[in-house]
Amino acid sequence: MNGISQTLTGVVSGLIPPELYRPGPGTRDESVNSDGTAVPAWAEIFESYRRHGVGVLKDWREAALRISRDRGLAYRPDLGGGASWTLDPIPWVFSPEEWQQIETGISQKLRLSAAILADIYGEQSLIERRLIPASIILSHRGFLRALHNYPPGGKAIGLGMTAFDLARGPGGRAYILNDRFDCPYGLGVALENRTVVNRVLPNLFRRCQVRRIGYFFNDWFNYLAEQAPAHSDNPRIVILDSNNGGESSEISFLSNYCGITRVVPSDLTVRSAKVWLKSLSGLKPVDVIWKTTYGRDLDPLEANRRNRAEGITGIFEALRESNVAVAGHPGAEVLQSPGLFPFLAPICREILGEELILPPAATWWCGEKKARQYVIENLSKMVVKSVGHHSDFHTRYGQRLSQTELAELRTQIEAEPERYVGQEELNISTVPTSTEAGLVPRSAVVRSFSFLDGKGEPHVMPGGLGRVSTAEGVIISTRESGESKDIWVRSHQQDAPISIARRLEQSRVISPEVVPSRRGENLYWAGRYGERTDSISRFANRLVVGRSSGFSYGRDLEARHEKTLLEALFRIFEAELWIEKVKDPEARLNLILNDENCPVGVGPNLNNFHRACMAAREEWSVTSILAIESARDKWFEGTKDFESPYRYEAQLENLALNLAAFHGLNLDSMTRDEAWGLLDAGCRIERMSILAGLLIYVLEVDEPEPMATLLNESVLFVSDSLGTYQSKFLTVPKTGLTLKLLLGEEDYPRSVRYLLERLEIVLKKLKAPAKNPHPIERISPMKDELLLFLSSISHETGSLAGSQQAALSYLVSFRLQLKELHDYITTSYFSHAGYQG
Amino acid sequence: MSMVRYFIRHRTAYRYSGRIDLCHSLAHLRPREDEGQELSSHRIEVTPEPRFQRERTDFFGNRTNYLAIQQSHDFLEVLATTTVIKPDFAPVLRKAGVAWNKWSVLPSEKDPSGVRLGNYTLPTQASPALGAVTEFIKPSLVPDTDVMDLVNELMGRVFREFAYVPGATDTTTPLEKVMKQRQGVCQDFAHVMIAALRSIGIPVRYVSGYLETLPPPGQKKLQGADATHAWIEVFSPSTGWVGFDPTNNQLPGSQHIKICHGRDYFDVQPLKGIFLGTGTQELIVQVDVERM
Repeated sequence: MNGISQTLTGVVSGLIPPELYRPGPGTRDESVNSDGTAVPAWAEIFESYRRHGVGVLKDWREAALRISRDRGLAYRPDLGGGASWTLDPIPWVFSPEEWQQIETGISQKLRLSAAILADIYGEQSLIERRLIPASIILSHRGFLRALHNYPPGGKAIGLGMTAFDLARGPGGRAYILNDRFDCPYGLGVALENRTVVNRVLPNLFRRCQVRRIGYFFNDWFNYLAEQAPAHSDNPRIVILDSNNGGESSEISFLSNYCGITRVVPSDLTVRSAKVWLKSLSGLKPVDVIWKTTYGRDLDPLEANRRNRAEGITGIFEALRESNVAVAGHPGAEVLQSPGLFPFLAPICREILGEELILPPAATWWCGEKKARQYVIENLSKMVVKSVGHHSDFHTRYGQRLSQTELAELRTQIEAEPERYVGQEELNISTVPTSTEAGLVPRSAVVRSFSFLDGKGEPHVMPGGLGRVSTAEGVIISTRESGESKDIWVRSHQQDAPISIARRLEQSRVISPEVVPSRRGENLYWAGRYGERTDSISRFANRLVVGRSSGFSYGRDLEARHEKTLLEALFRIFEAELWIEKVKDPEARLNLILNDENCPVGVGPNLNNFHRACMAAREEWSVTSILAIESARDKWFEGTKDFESPYRYEAQLENLALNLAAFHGLNLDSMTRDEAWGLLDAGCRIERMSILAGLLIYVLEVDEPEPMATLLNESVLFVSDSLGTYQSKFLTVPKTGLTLKLLLGEEDYPRSVRYLLERLEIVLKKLKAPAKNPHPIERISPMKDELLLFLSSISHETGSLAGSQQAALSYLVSFRLQLKELHDYITTSYFSHAGYQG
Repeated sequence: MSMVRYFIRHRTAYRYSGRIDLCHSLAHLRPREDEGQELSSHRIEVTPEPRFQRERTDFFGNRTNYLAIQQSHDFLEVLATTTVIKPDFAPVLRKAGVAWNKWSVLPSEKDPSGVRLGNYTLPTQASPALGAVTEFIKPSLVPDTDVMDLVNELMGRVFREFAYVPGATDTTTPLEKVMKQRQGVCQDFAHVMIAALRSIGIPVRYVSGYLETLPPPGQKKLQGADATHAWIEVFSPSTGWVGFDPTNNQLPGSQHIKICHGRDYFDVQPLKGIFLGTGTQELIVQVDVERM
């Protein structure tokens, strides 16, 4: 294992030693020739593996996992349908010549598809000439009658980003298993896989002269920018994710990589047949939408037949008016119908005058009598698919079905034959896949991405998403989880590295990113819920400590103190109904520590914090995300039982630590822009609102000493100000001094006076809403009233010169003003309800 | 042929409990001008005034209006006034000339308006393929019956076996429930017939329209007493589209004024609106059909 083996010829000229890798019998393998020698494109991979030994696979896998995690991918992105894919660091390698053939085939497929789509939404001459059975198109759920004759005037139809699943059969011929026109998943995963594998195997990557995929994205953005309606010089391009596109959405990766705004349908609104983005700086016109959602869900007014107000209502009218471009055509899903497969070769001959280079696997449409008979007779060897009616039929694999299931399937087909196709099940070729025990052969499919530009030129990504079956002989389907692979297309020369985000920024072909209102709203709520969780956990801490060790005031007094504090907490968050239902003090504490729904529960607020943070994922650094995840994960470990309070004390401390880390990290890494302003404003408004509420409910008690002292001490503890009070006043907590510190202390980050000053500064980051005053105008009167109230507190004794009642009425009015400020921010920046277009 | 003239006033009003900031609507309120029916006037008035509106022809050749109301409102009114002229005739059922079990429709073939028959032979959301429907049509499937005789007989059965109960259903009631409770209103009966006939491959379409009603003898007609109506049309290989009104068990004549047609109700919903706002809504529809 030394000396000679340093040269490449070690593997290339010889056989692959069986202990290194042994393809399965009877199946074609991509890396090994039938004579047992390595396919040249794979030589470097085998050589490197041989040099390092079997153990290296484990290292590579672990490195890939660690890099994913470091990049903030604690969860691998979702490929749709809830499937999650792990990454096998061993790439699937293609020689330049091999890929050239695939590229030619895909280019033809794109031209053919565009011609078919244009015909379906136009003349329908293919139906007229009976090259396509009418019912396959007319009954397909993706055939959108509302877009009949769109685009108008013979304008080129946009296929958008497309994906084809390619596989090779035993003879080495490549087939297309699936077409994905409407909403191809996997592009973000492919991008992510490339980044990770490039870091695990940098030397191999260089030695193999792998083609860069960045250029493909560059071309794609140039294409998108060209699609903008003629009047816009700096078009605004957005990437549209689905409403439920959550934390692990691969669309976030795409948007980050390319530096374009990710939106969900509720971020967009249609007014005067134009599409607008609801942003923190008002409504911004949108010119081009890169759609990653189903076209049939796009416009609830026209496409979705149920009256659900999801999607972007009115967008089809904007399309017809040519005020916006959507890539691709929202009705392109109809092309995905496997019902078209048997007819593609004749159509290709008829309209392109060419032979189909990448055919689908042999397919029979059951709407034709002879084809149906063939499918039924060979059912146990068939893959049966729906042609795309309004049905939720899942693909069935004949080989996997029992006799009874086969009989049922047969009845189903015979009842409505035109709804099904039978497809030959290919014996798909294998690629070497890493396991901890060594390389094993696994059947694999490439999802290849491509598009047709405005001049009709095809662009094929040199790479893609490799998908590998989970075990030998298992069928690969998008519905299941499995391993994914990077695709390496080799070149005869080295590509220069390319950064898309930088290139787009430099060329300034597209408008700079703005903060969508939804993201702003989530940031604001992340601020509020973070602070709320922190405060509630401080309440809980105080209660837990009081319960376990006491405050040496006697049982009776302490019980009343606990009751007051608990009820204050519930009332602050308008949870009075809960205290009416639950009277037992221990049960109430349990609501805070363990309940999943109680509005004053740590858990629900922590979950809300987490959800709001993840919906604004774009804003956080990788370390911030770790703090967010860790805050939640650690809290939910185990239940908090009262027999061992030290456990949840530790958990409460840990929570406080993670939240403090989150704030500290943001302070250090976030740009001081409007997004940060809202996060900070949310945090400060929440802090003031809780403090005011707490003071109100404690002042209401009006009990003689020592109750007042104990309550003041608790107020100071919950406000994280007990230490400051003690070192400043050197006396037991008195009501007047407590108010003086918490409301009026200058330069003290926990005082309302300071918080109002800061709030004014951070809100300045926001632009004034159109035709309405800036929210900071509401803050000066609040500051004036505070100073007026403070002047009524005696400086020396800390006693309240006025009555308890005066303090109460000040606090009640202050709290109301905060609520109004909150409502004003919400309507002005988040809902845009008042906009007159 | 003598002509008959109608003045039609169709008012739809929404009152909302909260403020609505944005409302997108799609109206199918303009009666078609084909198959002998003509319009001498047609107007749609909307309050508050839409900031944007467009009229276009849809997939089925109906005229449709897109209306966008972009100012804050709590009341929306759409008033369509139309003067229709149509031939005064007594309908006669003419045979298709082919038995239902000997006829197979070519889905790619176009009807006289240019729409492929395949659009009208396939199940839709409002008229899906259901076991209850295939059961229901079975007694009518006498071999070698002329297509039109079969439809006519089926219409009689729907009329007799389903009870007309206003308020028993709404536009969201699934056909399955209608089949089960054997009651509904005009659009349910239309959907029952559509689903049944499509199950044996006969092209059939949904028609939205108005029906002239006459007051009891000696009484004055009440304002707003009429309603929108629905019936079906079946494609006959000999004569083209032929109407059937299962609610009244009759062939539509000069008293039936057609607005639009499509595969089912949702293709021709008179006024579909999606609004942004909160609260509940109250809907009032008033129709007057007056013979001039």
